[in-house]
Amino acid sequence: MNLIYTSDQQELIDAADSFFAGEHTVEYMRNLLESDASDDTQTLWNNFAELGLLGLVAPEENSGLAQDFSVMAGIAEMAGNVALTEPLIEIAGISVPVLAQMGATDELNAVISGDLKVLPVCGLSGMVSHADTADMFLIGEGGKARLLDKSDVTLTPLKSIDPLRKLYKVSHAGDGLEAIDQRGAILNASFLCGLSKRMVTLSVDYAKDREQFGKQIGSFQAIKHQLANVHTQIEFTRPIVQLAATQNGRCVHQAKVSSIDTAMLAAETAIQVHGGMGYTFEVSLHMFMKRAWALCGEWGDRNHHINILETMILADDAELGPGTTFSY
Amino acid sequence: MDAVFSDSQNQFRQEVRDWLSANVPGERLPSLDTQKGFDLHRAWEKKLHAGNWGMVTWPEEFGGRGCSLTDWLIFEEEYYRADAPLRVSQNGIFLLGPTIMEYGTDEQKERFLKPMAAGDEIWAQAWSEPGAGSDMAAIRSKAVRDGDEYVISGQKIWSSRAVFADWCFGLFRTDPESSRHHGLSKILVPLDSPGLTVRPIAQLDGDPGFAELFFDEVRVPVSNLLGPENGGWGVAMATAGFERGLLLRSPARFQAAAARLVKLYKQNANRLSSGIKEQVLQAWGDTERFTAATYALVAQVDSGASISSEASANKIFWSEMDRTMHRTAMTIMGMHAELEEGDGAIENGRWLDGYMFSLAGPIYAGTNEIQRNILAERVLGLPRQ
Ligand SMILES: Cc1cc2nc3c(=O)[nH]c(=O)nc-3n(C[C@H](O)[C@H](O)[C@H](O)COP(=O)(O)OP(=O)(O)OC[C@H]3O[C@@H](n4cnc5c(N)ncnc54)[C@H](O)[C@@H]3O)c2cc1C
Repeated sequence: MNLIYTSDQQELIDAADSFFAGEHTVEYMRNLLESDASDDTQTLWNNFAELGLLGLVAPEENSGLAQDFSVMAGIAEMAGNVALTEPLIEIAGISVPVLAQMGATDELNAVISGDLKVLPVCGLSGMVSHADTADMFLIGEGGKARLLDKSDVTLTPLKSIDPLRKLYKVSHAGDGLEAIDQRGAILNASFLCGLSKRMVTLSVDYAKDREQFGKQIGSFQAIKHQLANVHTQIEFTRPIVQLAATQNGRCVHQAKVSSIDTAMLAAETAIQVHGGMGYTFEVSLHMFMKRAWALCGEWGDRNHHINILETMILADDAELGPGTTFSY
Repeated sequence: MDAVFSDSQNQFRQEVRDWLSANVPGERLPSLDTQKGFDLHRAWEKKLHAGNWGMVTWPEEFGGRGCSLTDWLIFEEEYYRADAPLRVSQNGIFLLGPTIMEYGTDEQKERFLKPMAAGDEIWAQAWSEPGAGSDMAAIRSKAVRDGDEYVISGQKIWSSRAVFADWCFGLFRTDPESSRHHGLSKILVPLDSPGLTVRPIAQLDGDPGFAELFFDEVRVPVSNLLGPENGGWGVAMATAGFERGLLLRSPARFQAAAARLVKLYKQNANRLSSGIKEQVLQAWGDTERFTAATYALVAQVDSGASISSEASANKIFWSEMDRTMHRTAMTIMGMHAELEEGDGAIENGRWLDGYMFSLAGPIYAGTNEIQRNILAERVLGLPRQ
């Protein structure tokens, strides 16, 4: 029992963090917004491959790093912290381990080297961001994982409130598979934690900068307490997400629900702290906030996960109480 | 990162479980805020100690088992699973004990830790004063040095269990020229000292759960000073950290309550409005979040990290979770919620007691407003007022 990362694991997460923070800056995102060009993303993908991010959880014989899935969750949080636009986490965290399980060695090797993009599809929504850049799709159907070529499906563009999500409906989404959906939910929850954390950081920076009544607004207790509330919620969401990444079971659904509630609270608090400025396209907050709104409904929305929890917790034979958190 | 207990941890759990199932009293003890209940709780502490289960994390030389904090969480899980009595010696074993281990002299360790672990000496805390609640640095009670003694005068208030306890510890102003958090010292005082009057205060439930302490030239030897003279603030903050943080409120007690809440919900489900179900799930979910976070925190501490201001988030979370969960129970019980015992009373008024006590959680150990100030200023880095 050791619910913290080893120092080697932490190093990998920190390395990803500094890479994201250095490359995927607010300026980079603004450029994407203005130029609408996704051609310069190839360098990013080459770097993902070079850093070993694509093969992070892949077996060593496929030149992966064979890391635990919990490390991927840690990296997903760092990706959330910068609101990463490219679907790295979906490919490296969902497609790669499932391809390995399927024994799809050729595809796996190509994905790890950055030459092939296999995007996982959530059977519940069939909505996939950046689907136009995929070479193949991974779906769950009839209890099995299945690969579809991009020519096997049609993509219908959808319009998301998040301007950096290039969203499509995939015509053939399957009916889901635990190996895909659980990973999707956990990584999504981690990503949301990162977004929440970043919204707090942006708000703290703003509250130290902006002055009213001759004082920094961050010195007002009404501002402090709201941000302290969000901080507290984040601190009590991240560990259950990490636990979900370490053991499956009902904590996955709790992790998703908590990360949704925390992200929505973070977004509402952040815009309030920013005042009128928060209601603009100008400050960077909106990019993080909109991503949070969008991701809350992905990989099973709140209703979906609460309903599952309900059947699990209210079942007659449910094991509840002290000592039942780790009993899987 | 892993979430699997080792064989030796599982064995330890089994050992705790076996001992508790053979020894936990069959009936819930009366409130420890009554003389009878206090005595019975003290007797239970002695029994725990005799089984060497008093404080498993303490070193063996002081009556413990030298267990890790993770083992302690396991112990607590079994303890609340067995619905064992509340710990009447909690101020000593969870708060003062660790502080003595950190700051005490060898003589103090020898003198105080063993009787504390054995339940022979039960401790009360004496920080708050009528004019110094949230603003603890406004303490005015003074201890004047006279040879090898301190002469203490002043007034303390809200001292839990002081009516029945044996000793108290608190902060007193030892430097008369000082102000705020300078010039304070942490001093240990027997509650039966001449000149010390203990006046009971009835708590919300009517029992004398706290007391006011009037010090009229109370004399204690200088050897009762814990830590440096005039450096008591730092020593007190260490105790406060234990209290807000993990020692006082491990997840198990809340998990046990959440499991009871689910049961209560199921027994009443057919007459409840639909929104209650989600509140029940929320209560369960919050206790799971608290459990995961505590195991993560304990792993950090076991690996050598120290916790300070982060403990404030902990205190906010458990106290508000507890209050929300008990409010949900009150809502479920509806017209039966007010009944304390007898006909129609559910679980003999246990939820009602719990609800009242949960309202104190956001107040004691530093109010949640103060914790939010600490988080905002010391963790998030927002400017001081
Ligand atoms: C059940 C229980 C047991 C207790 N046991 C003990 C004990 O054993 N020993 C002991 O010494 N004390 C004990 N206390 C006392 C407790 O520590 C104090 O009640 C607490 O610190 C608050 O102080 P106060 O009561 O003077 O309230 P006040 O400080 O007067 O606070 C009243 C309200 O004002 C708010 N407030 C005050 N200052 C600020 C600020 N700067 N910013 C924002 N809001 C502020 C508070 O948050 C609170 O909501 C106990 C209290 C309770 C309820």
